[in-house]
Amino acid sequence: MREFQPVPARPAPVKTVGPVAWARANLFSSIPNSMMTLFVMALFVYFIPPIVDWAFLSANWTGTTEDACVRDGACWVFVKAWSYQFFYGTYPEEEVWRINLMLGLLVLVIAASFTLPKHIRLKASVAAWLLLPLVGIAVLDGRLLGLNQVTTDLWGGFTLNVFMAAASIIVAFPFSFLWALGRRSEMPFIRSVSIIFIEFFRGVPVLSLFFMGSVMLPLFFAEGTNVDKLIRVWIVLIFFMSGYMAEVFRGGFQAVPSGQYEAADSIGLSYWQKILLIILPQVIKVSMPNILATFVMLFKNTTFLLIIGIPEVVQTLQTALSNSYWLGGHALEGYLFVFLVFWSSCFSMSLLARRIERQMNTDKRG
Amino acid sequence: MLKQKTLEQTKAAARRNKGGRSAAFYNNPEIRALGYQLLLVLGLGYFFYSVISNVLANMEATGIKTGFGFLTASAGYDVLMSLIPFEATDTYGRIFIVGFLNTILVSVIGIFFATVLGFIFGVAHFSHNWLIRKVAVLYVEIFRNIPLLLQVFFWYFAVLATLPSARQSLSLGEAIFLNVRGLYVPKMVGSDLFWVAEVALAVAIAGIFVLRRWAKRRQALTGQIFPVFYTSIAMVIGLPVAALLLTGLPFTVEYPELRGFNYFGGITIIPELMALAIALSVYTGSFIAEAVRAGVQSIPQGQTEAARSLGLSEKRIMSLIIVPQAMRVIVPLLNSEYQSLVKNSTLAAAIGYPDLFNVFVGTALNQTGQAIETIFMTIVVYFIVNMVISFLMNRLNNAVALVSR
Repeated sequence: MREFQPVPARPAPVKTVGPVAWARANLFSSIPNSMMTLFVMALFVYFIPPIVDWAFLSANWTGTTEDACVRDGACWVFVKAWSYQFFYGTYPEEEVWRINLMLGLLVLVIAASFTLPKHIRLKASVAAWLLLPLVGIAVLDGRLLGLNQVTTDLWGGFTLNVFMAAASIIVAFPFSFLWALGRRSEMPFIRSVSIIFIEFFRGVPVLSLFFMGSVMLPLFFAEGTNVDKLIRVWIVLIFFMSGYMAEVFRGGFQAVPSGQYEAADSIGLSYWQKILLIILPQVIKVSMPNILATFVMLFKNTTFLLIIGIPEVVQTLQTALSNSYWLGGHALEGYLFVFLVFWSSCFSMSLLARRIERQMNTDKRG
Repeated sequence: MLKQKTLEQTKAAARRNKGGRSAAFYNNPEIRALGYQLLLVLGLGYFFYSVISNVLANMEATGIKTGFGFLTASAGYDVLMSLIPFEATDTYGRIFIVGFLNTILVSVIGIFFATVLGFIFGVAHFSHNWLIRKVAVLYVEIFRNIPLLLQVFFWYFAVLATLPSARQSLSLGEAIFLNVRGLYVPKMVGSDLFWVAEVALAVAIAGIFVLRRWAKRRQALTGQIFPVFYTSIAMVIGLPVAALLLTGLPFTVEYPELRGFNYFGGITIIPELMALAIALSVYTGSFIAEAVRAGVQSIPQGQTEAARSLGLSEKRIMSLIIVPQAMRVIVPLLNSEYQSLVKNSTLAAAIGYPDLFNVFVGTALNQTGQAIETIFMTIVVYFIVNMVISFLMNRLNNAVALVSR
């Protein structure tokens, strides 16, 4: 008896698999579609080679002065020569380890709040986060620790953008939480004060807040008190941020099912026990993507500090562009570099936000 | 043990009921609420008291005047661009209006182009064409993640500032000129019978509404579909053109002309306005594209399939089934994007476009030193503009909202 031998399956027709079929389905499925594809491809063919040529092939990479830029491509020497200022501003070079130390600490605290053992994670990371701005000021300024003082007018560059954004969101966190609670409160006066505060800081252009910080706020302090400009701007940023974050938290509070509140009440927890132990952890969890999105917005908005003359990275770039040794028109190189720095940090944060969101949605999809 | 516990509990209950004594008054939630609010009142009261007294003391010390008297004083400086006649001798009050109009101008331009860009790229995200989809993603992810200020500077310093000088202007048919000083387009100057064409345009616009109603009724009665869209376009263009031809072309076209070092005549769009409008549109457009994508994505696939099974064409599925439902998600998002566009237009101060913020909080504050009044007036305007936007968008939202029966 012969055993049954199945004939091996024939390969699928060329028309349905492989790159040709993919192109037919995705690029040339109809006449208008094919025309669009060709049009976009033509644009790419027309624009990309000159851009690649300008940015890489005929670019100037080596040298330290403008004279080194002899080829007609981009002059990356400009970016290289100014990179210290772009990152650290005019911070003295021998003290720059302090900025690096703070950046390291920031990364460490972020890592710690995800990896510490569970039973101490919450308390330890909250304490670390709240201490961070104070430690930062002490280290960067240096007087408290017996180091040489570096006055705030020397702080600058991209690290200033990072520090301003981080320090503002950290301090804004507890405040915004209180404002969100106030907005949900049943006490009419507390509720209306919270609403006015939140809507004011959300409704006003950021720039006018910065002007308030730089021109109006000094009038508010008693005569003779001289508060540093950076601190004033910091205060304004905290207020601004807590207005936005309060709304994020309000959304988070609404997302927590009312059964959670009722269950906490029924086991006899006090108001603050209920909020801090039961509700807040859930609120932070569900609001994480929005918190990150708000932080990205704040981070982008720190560039507006240029208008009131704070030497953050864009201001540093403008200074570099008008430097008399670098008048050859390096605007494009400079802006592209700063674009890249901001874009990569903001894009990675939004990717992170999207990942967290997807992780949280797993239970809903199943 | 169980018994003992119950016994204790009954005892406790009895103790509580015995004298009819209620809990201590400071544990009464109503009194507590009152106490907290009283604390807040006192705190805020002290805060405002100290701030106001400090402000008054500081102002006296530095000799800054208070009040709105400066509004009628002569400003003594010129603005770069004004939609209404303005001279340096005019008052701060007039500068306020000039700046306000410039803000509205750039906001309207920005909102228009941002919406167009946003809808094009948002819908492109669902294209059958792989390349177009990727271009849409690229646009959103690039421009959303770069600070607006950088984009404004990029257009202003790295693109528009590198345009050729007036003598080597780029020109389109010797009528439109683009150079480092701005964009020059011809202007239509109407003479005595020009109003006929304007009336014709108004009639055409009114006609569209009549046409739509008629077409809808006809479709309900007979099932026949009338091409309303193309007819409307033909009416809006055709009627005014016909009126112009009938009245014997009662207008002259003023072309920009090169005189000396610059172009004169026609309409001039200054590079500051261009850079700000482009940056605002591109930046906000990327957010609107995301909103549109979210809106379309929120509609279940079943809707499209059901519409197909009814035999509707792809175009009509889009316009009758998908868009009306997606608008419910899109409109609230558009509302906040428009508001942030108006707020972001204050970046004009960075490149010197004379918007309200720049001429008032920038220059007027510097000259008069009256920080509180100028900032207050400006903030109020932005609040009002945003309230108007919010009101209009809420009207639109009600129009597209699901009618629940």
